Amino acid sequence: MARYGMALDYKNCINCKACETACKEENGVLLGADNHRIWVGMKEIEGEYPNLSIASNTFYPSQCQHCDEAPCQEVCPTNATYYDKDGQVRIDADKCILCSYCINACPYDARYVDDRTNTVDKCTFCTDTRLARGETTTACQNTCPTKVRIFGDLDDPNSEISQVLQNREHFTLKSNLGTKPKLFYLI
Amino acid sequence: MHIKEFITTIPVKKVTLRDIVSFEKTPINLLIAVMTLLFLVLFAVGITTYILHGHHAYNVTKEHPWGLLIAVYIFFVVSSTGLCIVGSLGDVFGFKDYMMISKRAIFGSIITIVSGFAVIAFEIGHPITMVIYNILTPGFTSAIWWMGTLYGLYMTFMIIEFVFLLKHNMKMAKIFGLTGLLVGLAAHSNLGGVFGFLNARTISNGVFYPMYFILTAFITGIFLSFIMYGFKYRLKFDEKATLLLTNLAKIQGLLIAILMFFVTWKMLSDVYGGMPNRAEVARHIFSSATFWAEVFFAMVIPLFIILKSAGKNIVGMFWGSLIGMVGIFFMRYNLVHDTQLKPLQMLKTSEYQLVPTWIEYFPSVTEVMISLGGLGLCLFLYYMGTKLFNLDE
Repeated sequence: MARYGMALDYKNCINCKACETACKEENGVLLGADNHRIWVGMKEIEGEYPNLSIASNTFYPSQCQHCDEAPCQEVCPTNATYYDKDGQVRIDADKCILCSYCINACPYDARYVDDRTNTVDKCTFCTDTRLARGETTTACQNTCPTKVRIFGDLDDPNSEISQVLQNREHFTLKSNLGTKPKLFYLI
Repeated sequence: MHIKEFITTIPVKKVTLRDIVSFEKTPINLLIAVMTLLFLVLFAVGITTYILHGHHAYNVTKEHPWGLLIAVYIFFVVSSTGLCIVGSLGDVFGFKDYMMISKRAIFGSIITIVSGFAVIAFEIGHPITMVIYNILTPGFTSAIWWMGTLYGLYMTFMIIEFVFLLKHNMKMAKIFGLTGLLVGLAAHSNLGGVFGFLNARTISNGVFYPMYFILTAFITGIFLSFIMYGFKYRLKFDEKATLLLTNLAKIQGLLIAILMFFVTWKMLSDVYGGMPNRAEVARHIFSSATFWAEVFFAMVIPLFIILKSAGKNIVGMFWGSLIGMVGIFFMRYNLVHDTQLKPLQMLKTSEYQLVPTWIEYFPSVTEVMISLGGLGLCLFLYYMGTKLFNLDE
């Protein structure tokens, strides 16, 4: 069994939104559904015109953090949210009752309601699409022009992601909450 | 005794359609009748709109997933738990002065939870799936699972208790009443836990809400007792009712004082230390009109009425209770809305320095219609109860 995670070299991000587009195409996310599944957060430029600090304008790609201790899984009344064999946090649409508790409980704002199924959805690391076809990349990773995203098996010491995490400093979001995310931001 | 035979022995009055529409045509009665009918019509329109448009008919969003209907559901189930506590004082704990209200309060607890369920059924996206997978794949770590399941059991126990009360079988009523009360308290504190377990929302996280919910339920139950008896006696209370309501007013004074103490410390601890995601939310709450509506309507005004007359002004307390229930509504609305005020910011240090943009929410017309519909259903069921059953001793 793999234990999939993703490292983000977020300082390389140029906010081209290719990842969002690829994700929408790959996973059939409805057009216009911004900030759904994956998105690029933008920190506003600091300073007052004309003294603006262009260097302060940074981008933070984000998505479901695939927590090892996922609050969304804990609060789900019907166990519709579950961990699959590869450690991804997934949703069984048949069991989802749309109580929205998971949307409220997720500290990362990662969940949304899919208008087609009327159930909650989020990033699945392309489990139903690319990984199911035997590929080992996600759509967002595959399309990123500046190689922000490194996806792979955290349990394999030889995988690129394991090597990167071993050699570079990184942090996870809201680590004080103890959710143990599997999205790592490289410093 | 065979179950069918048992059911046939439940004392129910024979009621025809003529009996239902025959009530004293005073202006206030007519107003309530018209209001109830209007609310039921709005309920039907609201439900139809929801069925046609789903959650798009509501103003809930990804950022503010819980709206007015959740608040109204909580409003009703708090009322139910409160009436169950008041009803239990007599038939479970054996306080003689409170015996007379048991049957009416327990009936009230049943119809309020039914109204609550009727409202939440149109908020939960897939209520039938819920019933199936609540049983097949229960999420034991979920406060919603415990709350829902225990409330289902609680309602069953309340109905059984009410049947035994109707049959004057006080021993069995006591057994089911006590069980129902314990299950109800467990359910209700789990409802507090639904918010208390939200680690992502620091403003509601913690053990406060499970306890606060029980306290405010008792307060709500007493407000509703005043309203029910006020209407029953047309504000001309006999000696027995005066004694009961004076006692309840005194208890209410103590409970409201404790509530004010609780809320003061809750808000102080929220603000203290300037903890991100908590302190600024608390300060924002201080600047909202609905918070002060909650404080004045549910706490200050009723407590003032009680303290001024040492609990003896029960006519004043009837009006104070009507105002109090408006305050309780705001209390529930604020709880749900305030939990979601702050956007879930993604990166830690830098973004905290930005001025937060608060998440806005105002209920849609459909949400208002379904909520008023719940109130209409509650009034209608209460009226039917007064026709079908003998709700007094």
